[in-house]
Amino acid sequence: MKLQFSQVTKSFGDLNVIRQFDTTIRNGEIVALVGPSGCGKSTLLHMLAGLQQPSTGALTADGASVARPSPERTLVFQEHALYPWMTLLDNVALALEFQDKPRATSLSEARKWLSRVRLVGFEDYYPHQVSGGMRQRCALARAFIARPKVLLLDEPFGALDALTRMTLQSVLKDLIEEERPTVVLVTHDVDEALYLADRVLVFSQRPATVLKEVELGHIPKTHDLSAFADVRREVLNLLGIDTDEHQPKDSQGETA
Amino acid sequence: MSSTQPTGVASKRAYVAAIAIILFFWQVAAWFLPDFLMPDVPVALQRLWEELNSGDFYEGLGNSMSRLGIGYGAALFFGIVLGLVGGTLDMVRSTLKAAIIILQSIPSIAWVPLFLILMGFGNLPIIVVVAIGAFFPTALSVMNATESVEKVHISAARVMGASKMQMLRRVYFPAVTPELITGAQLAFGNAWRALISAEMIVGFSAGLGKSLAYSGEIADMTGVMTNILVIAILAAVIDQVILERIKHRLLRYQYL
Repeated sequence: MKLQFSQVTKSFGDLNVIRQFDTTIRNGEIVALVGPSGCGKSTLLHMLAGLQQPSTGALTADGASVARPSPERTLVFQEHALYPWMTLLDNVALALEFQDKPRATSLSEARKWLSRVRLVGFEDYYPHQVSGGMRQRCALARAFIARPKVLLLDEPFGALDALTRMTLQSVLKDLIEEERPTVVLVTHDVDEALYLADRVLVFSQRPATVLKEVELGHIPKTHDLSAFADVRREVLNLLGIDTDEHQPKDSQGETA
Repeated sequence: MSSTQPTGVASKRAYVAAIAIILFFWQVAAWFLPDFLMPDVPVALQRLWEELNSGDFYEGLGNSMSRLGIGYGAALFFGIVLGLVGGTLDMVRSTLKAAIIILQSIPSIAWVPLFLILMGFGNLPIIVVVAIGAFFPTALSVMNATESVEKVHISAARVMGASKMQMLRRVYFPAVTPELITGAQLAFGNAWRALISAEMIVGFSAGLGKSLAYSGEIADMTGVMTNILVIAILAAVIDQVILERIKHRLLRYQYL
């Protein structure tokens, strides 16, 4: 699905969050939005999800205006988005039940997706009984089960420890390669962006403007990011210059 | 499993101790007062046993329980509906809440004279008074809980394409259940007090409250104390056994 921002601005009262934002995301492209916290990149993502509307300008998906949420464009939240009163299985199945699929179908599909994110044996656990990493695996299963054309990720692994995060990045990368949705990823983690994305947009402080656009599509992806050393330094420098409250470190362990 | 055991051993022991102390003070009072003013505990227990073997007692019990069941049931139903709807409507919420707080401060028994004339002498005014007593705490607790449902839980359902009905049933209702149960237990206390007092005042057909009032009128203090005993035991059983059991069943996920 092709996503297009044309002259999009967003303000909350007097607060100007996004000013005159233009970009086109090609069908099947994986774009990462990187920038200081509070710069408005999550707002861009919520607009893509249809949870918020632009104040001015237009946002379209395959030419149609994005006015409301749709299961075609699903969003993975940072954490706590699973329902604590449902088992992992029910949480995943819910995505299909909301589309009026029969319960039996939803459950069997959910079992399949839980096994794809390697959660076999945890179907009947409640979210608070499993680790944060397992909860996010479940959240990924819940997002992918609806076969979205657009996958939006709002700092999906921001609350995880560095090792768990790298494992989940691999899980996510495999799922994206198999399912081929268009992906927009918001992250603080430069390495995560370099590892997953075809293109990285580096944002300034609010109101969000793009400081730099980096194409990475041609470089093969591994967790060894040595091929990206120059790009990585440049992106980090850009973020370092423009961040007062939050200095990104050269480590995976950085969080908001 | 602990989830099928509503009260732990420690709290059971506390209950036994509390009952023993209450009965002890009653017995002390009985020693100091003449028998026609305060019967001995064994005398009242003897009377209770006789009552349990008579048909009249069960007629009154049945009448009281059906009034309670209908009034309390209706209050729960309408309280939940109004609470959910009111909690999701930003426009009317504060006004509605203020109205409930004002109306709640009127003891429900104060409505008896009005309802007696409005609805006539019969079961209906008692049921309505019971319902009023239980309705406000239920509605208020559900409304407060609805307001504080986690934003991310709502957003997640929206991006999964939930309809308004699905949202209420699968997200709002389970999210408010913990507070609803607390409200429902509070509501039960109100309903129970309203039932007994309304039956005492209205005195329509047999019932626990009427039986108590009648014993008082004929100066049968053993009857009075026996009725009080029945009222206390029933309330404790309904609240501590039945409602607690329902609570543990509905909130099973919290006790795992």
